[in-house]
Amino acid sequence: MFPIYKKELQSFFYTPFAYAIAALFMLLFTYIFGVAIGSIDSSNTMKFSFTEVFYNVTLYFIFLLPILTMRTFADERKFGTEVLLMTSPVSVLKIVIAKFLANMTVYIFMLAGTLVYPIITALNGEVVISQLICAYIGIFSWGMMFIALGMLISSFTENSIIAAIIGEIVMFAVLFLDDFANTAFISQYPKLQSVLYAFAAQPRFAYFSQGFIRLSDLVFFASATIVYLVWTYISIEKRRWKRG
Amino acid sequence: MITIENLTKFYGNNRAVNDISFTINDNEILGFLGPNGAGKSTTMNMIAGYLPMSGGKVTICGDDITENPVKAKRNIGYLPEIPPVYPDMKVREYLDFCAGLKGIKGKEKKSEMDRVMTLLKITDVQNKLIRNLSKGYKQRVGFAQALLGNPKFLILDEPTVGLDPNQVIEVRSIIKDLKKEHSVIFSSHILSEVSAVCDRVVIINKGDIRAIDTIENLEKSFNDSSVLHIRCAGSKAAAAAIIGVADGVSEITEAVDEGNNITSFTVKLSGNADQIQEKLLADCLKNQISMLEVYTDKPNLEKVFTELINRPVQKKSVDELLNEIVPETGNTDAAESKDAEADSEEKEENE
Repeated sequence: MFPIYKKELQSFFYTPFAYAIAALFMLLFTYIFGVAIGSIDSSNTMKFSFTEVFYNVTLYFIFLLPILTMRTFADERKFGTEVLLMTSPVSVLKIVIAKFLANMTVYIFMLAGTLVYPIITALNGEVVISQLICAYIGIFSWGMMFIALGMLISSFTENSIIAAIIGEIVMFAVLFLDDFANTAFISQYPKLQSVLYAFAAQPRFAYFSQGFIRLSDLVFFASATIVYLVWTYISIEKRRWKRG
Repeated sequence: MITIENLTKFYGNNRAVNDISFTINDNEILGFLGPNGAGKSTTMNMIAGYLPMSGGKVTICGDDITENPVKAKRNIGYLPEIPPVYPDMKVREYLDFCAGLKGIKGKEKKSEMDRVMTLLKITDVQNKLIRNLSKGYKQRVGFAQALLGNPKFLILDEPTVGLDPNQVIEVRSIIKDLKKEHSVIFSSHILSEVSAVCDRVVIINKGDIRAIDTIENLEKSFNDSSVLHIRCAGSKAAAAAIIGVADGVSEITEAVDEGNNITSFTVKLSGNADQIQEKLLADCLKNQISMLEVYTDKPNLEKVFTELINRPVQKKSVDELLNEIVPETGNTDAAESKDAEADSEEKEENE
């Protein structure tokens, strides 16, 4: 399992890929951060908070995460290296987990860059550490779920661009599931609304942003991740069975 | 030993591999021959555990590839048709990764990597990106990967494709050397290669096995009606008279006058070519016709191959199938024989 993890990391960090995606993310994060700071004036009674920035940043992540995960399985298929992995004495489940861990490592690398702002703020002012930790735990588990989803979509195709585009569409849908559930149309069917709401990730992430760590939210993200990873495993196996 | 039993693969409704069985013994090089699209790669993919089979069983050293894949896969090194290399990796990084995948660690890993790189002569490109290598080098890197960890069985799908003639000879001699410690299954559609390297061949076409045997036996089995070529100096009529009536000569198929009193005959033989040849020589000498050249046409692997591939699969007629079924059941009543008929028709359709 470790060699696959290492190889994945090499493919991210020995190429400009990880740096480019992290830089792009930093740019977007800085933009949101800048806007948030700019909107503070004497008339604004709301204090600036990092958690709000994190909440807004998810919208940009939707466009970056599929680019991170698009190559996971699509490229293996494109280069014919899937055969190598499948005929080596490593089980498919381990391959999936190794690749997931590698993607998570790049994700953590991306998030680590944002720490620079709380640090600078802390040097010149005050940061509510507990709330900040809470926001990071939130964005970490939120990203975990979306990376697993992106990997699942990558396992459907051998074209990484298609994987990225489909990934963006699907993640966009998942991101706005709660807004969709709140529309007047869905409100007519309260049962459907509650079902949709149960699957929505955003309201759960909002709790983290507000400084709550709820076990149910953690379980939600963890179980969604597991479901997507197992689904990825099934998708790979299924593809082998019906190939050709 | 690898045992393949009743291996079948369907792609949708299309049967790519049809109920094939054979074994690969230890320290043996088995050639896998067939035209394009015969089912060679599919079969190899199934043996290596990449493609699941629609039916049948592959056992590698006693481990079933579907039931115990991790253990079974430890014993095989596989080089697929397209070498499974990552273009963004350097050769050394790639081999390091592959060695890791196979669970080779520490010092052993380094020595293994050096061993396969020396064997395939890729040491000088070890720090190059694979995307910048030529097809031949990529092929050799893929081959090196299969050799890592000294697996007992090597499955090589057209290992010499894309190599230049020198490299082809090198790779062939590597494969021959591998025989000492490994068993090799090796597919190709280059016949000279197979006859140069393999102990036994499996000839396959359209998913069916046409023959499994040693090359000598295959050639022998096609040797019943050999052809003798004779070039002799002397009167054409006299020569024809002697050759035509000799024992074992069934007919003169061709007699070409080359001028200068030289004639070349093509003669069809029925019987042992060596004996007939000896007798003919003696007869001709007696009658003052001097032989300039005598040689037999031996069927080579090429002929055997074309013959086997183009030979239609022998379909059994409904009657034959009925005869097979009916005696087993003993005295049959009308209903049973009707069933059997329906069954056999179904079989016929499948074929």
